[in-house]
Amino acid sequence: MTQKEITYHLKDIQHYYGNTKVLDIADLKIKKGSITGLIGPNGSGKSTLLKLLAFAQKPTRGNIFYKGRIELPFSPTVRSKVTLLTQKPYLLKRTVFENIAYGLKIRKDKKHLKERVKKALLTVGLDDQKFAVRKWHELSGGEAQRVSMAARLILKPEVLLLDEPIASVDTESAGLIRKASLKARDNWGATLVIASHDLQWLYSISDRQLSIFKGNIFSTGLENIITGPFLKSGIKSDGKTLVKKLDDGQIITLKAPGKKTCTAVVIRKKNIAISLEKQLDNGLLNQLSGHIVSMLLEEKKEIIMATISIHNLAFILRLTSDQISRINLYPGKKVILKFHPNDVEWI
Amino acid sequence: MDFIVAGFIKAIELLISGDTSTWTAVWATIKVSTCSMLLSIGAGLPCGFLLGYFDFKGKKHLRTILDTMLAFPTVFIGLMVYAFISRQGPMGELGLLFTLTGIAIGQTILAFPIVTAITASTIENIDHDFKLTLVTLGAGKRHIITTCLWEVRFGILAAAVTAYGRVLTEVGISMMVGGNIKYHTRTITTAIALETNKGLFADGIALGLVLIMIAFIVNLSLSFLRKQ
Repeated sequence: MTQKEITYHLKDIQHYYGNTKVLDIADLKIKKGSITGLIGPNGSGKSTLLKLLAFAQKPTRGNIFYKGRIELPFSPTVRSKVTLLTQKPYLLKRTVFENIAYGLKIRKDKKHLKERVKKALLTVGLDDQKFAVRKWHELSGGEAQRVSMAARLILKPEVLLLDEPIASVDTESAGLIRKASLKARDNWGATLVIASHDLQWLYSISDRQLSIFKGNIFSTGLENIITGPFLKSGIKSDGKTLVKKLDDGQIITLKAPGKKTCTAVVIRKKNIAISLEKQLDNGLLNQLSGHIVSMLLEEKKEIIMATISIHNLAFILRLTSDQISRINLYPGKKVILKFHPNDVEWI
Repeated sequence: MDFIVAGFIKAIELLISGDTSTWTAVWATIKVSTCSMLLSIGAGLPCGFLLGYFDFKGKKHLRTILDTMLAFPTVFIGLMVYAFISRQGPMGELGLLFTLTGIAIGQTILAFPIVTAITASTIENIDHDFKLTLVTLGAGKRHIITTCLWEVRFGILAAAVTAYGRVLTEVGISMMVGGNIKYHTRTITTAIALETNKGLFADGIALGLVLIMIAFIVNLSLSFLRKQ
């Protein structure tokens, strides 16, 4: 990536709320015109990262370079170019028209305001005649989300940051928000960063996915994380292995972490094998029995994302259609996941 | 019971006939309470905003003082204002004792903590995503402040109505600072107290009705504004 192609460059970013570290990113670059998906459990730092990218907050440590320059909150360079749609967007106590036109009005850009508001409403699938005059309290959750989206799209921002944009909307609205987001990238080259729990939706829209856990970006794409408690293993114990006991009696054996501060383990998808039968004389190899609960097609890469439930843990694997047909996998089928205790990373 | 009914009838007669002593008390009340309201909103609104919007050292103590001021008895405020503006007081030379201006000062002191406290609470209760939303829509600090005040306009109206109700109905300050001088500093509430003492219930009830009417008109106008 050349300097010109990079919209964001985060360097040695650390962010704290009080004494708690919520974000720790050594180096992250986001390409101009790309759509980046953020994946991670609640409290992993996705919203904080989006707030920092929106320059709504200053990181406790480190710098955020925007198009090669260090920028800070309220900087006029970024204020009118970066916009964030929060998880529960706040609508001003005004009409829909006033809400959508607000950003343009504060920029003193009032040319063809009516037509522009109308167009923005249409982009998110709302009828101008019906909605422009409605007051903020006369909207459903999905409509409010779409109005908030329209209020951002009308600004034609260079960067559009979306925090759980489809969390409280119906399928139709989710489709419209997806379409509007793609339009922003295709029509004026906007860079998008989107956090969402809906993996199928996120994979269908984003070019790359970043997994966040406890404030760390540890991979591009979804990875499997197992959190504690972990116990010292009994028989096999040489002080170098830990185990996690599942309520159904299955045991996961893991290489002990080097640092005591590590509380969770990442098992990369590439290190997990799927089969239909257990292997005898396996040594320390983990062989976990579970069921396929869902299979989603990643349209962009023609890869199938399978979710396998092992008691109360969910593992995700990316499989090719060849792998699927070879062992005839389908939702509900019983499978065995295999991975070696050494093929794990502690975080 | 008959004298109450007779009082209501007499009240209507007094108002329709344009009785001078009744109407001067009405005008004095409207003038002095409107003036004190404007002053208390002028001072209380920015103070309430600062207190509600910003976090600073000593904010909690300031809130405690303000909450204590909410409970100040009107006679105590009247007494303090009296002490300050009487001849031997530090502001004696201004000649404010037994004037409507003197009453307005006292009533401003009464209304100020109400306006400030309610404004501060309204600002504090504003959705925590409000500021983030505005910042990410490109608003600067000035826009955030003006939009914030516009967003809490109903809360500010409520503060104004509450404070207006308090100054309109207080007796202590008007009596002590104004002196209840007929055709001069007599307000509706001091007139009611006096007429009741004299056993003239009809005059008292008439003035009471006017007081209720003023309060009703003020609330009606604010409710209309709110709908707009």
